[in-house]
Amino acid sequence: MTVLEMMERSGMKNTTLTVAWIKDAIHLMQSSYDDNVATWKTSITDGTREYPFPANMIKLSSISIKDTTDSKYKKIKRIVHEPIVTEDRDPE
Amino acid sequence: MSYDTNKTWLYRIVGRNIHLWQYLDGANTDTLGGHRIKLPNEYYGSQLIYPDEDITNGLRFEGTAFIEPFVGVDPNELDGSDNPTLTGETATETSHINLSRMLSLAVVDYLKAQLADRKGEIDRKEYYMREFWKKVGDNESNKRKTSMSFPSSPHAVR
Repeated sequence: MTVLEMMERSGMKNTTLTVAWIKDAIHLMQSSYDDNVATWKTSITDGTREYPFPANMIKLSSISIKDTTDSKYKKIKRIVHEPIVTEDRDPE
Repeated sequence: MSYDTNKTWLYRIVGRNIHLWQYLDGANTDTLGGHRIKLPNEYYGSQLIYPDEDITNGLRFEGTAFIEPFVGVDPNELDGSDNPTLTGETATETSHINLSRMLSLAVVDYLKAQLADRKGEIDRKEYYMREFWKKVGDNESNKRKTSMSFPSSPHAVR
């Protein structure tokens, strides 16, 4: 279905606004259903604990770390509560 | 060298980032007279530490991604007998929405809902949003085939 057809079906007159709302609708759908699943990989650096989420990711399913002994990605668990840190080289 | 990463690594969500932790359960030891001894001034026990090694492509995220919303060809029509080749493009009125037919119809309902919202017609907005989610749900159930069976009682009319 083209943008023009959507505008005619819905009674929209402004193309820019239609495009923006279409993007909103897609974002809303992707937040609820796994229609387009993807994976992103990034390298782990010794001594660095902070890694940003991928910019175009909408909903997180899992996080895995590569096991270098058998070259497999294994899903890791999430810590719910903040750990008690007694010594930290990167104070915040 | 990382091993049993599903047991020895943990993460915590902090805003738009994650914090990675490695779980260690052990002690710093030294060998004295052929015996391994725990060093008295060193910490031992369970502890969380920062990642202590470099792993190329070691962190993998899995999730839903924002797709290319606008493409040049209709994603619901076969190219001969093959799936169409979809390439993203800047949105124009002739661009196709990169969604199935059912989801495209759902987006039409979303547009109607937003129009009603602008006019302050909340009832109409809620009606169209219900239609939107109904079509999104139908699209999901189209991918699954489920069957239900019920046991009949001994005295049921057959």
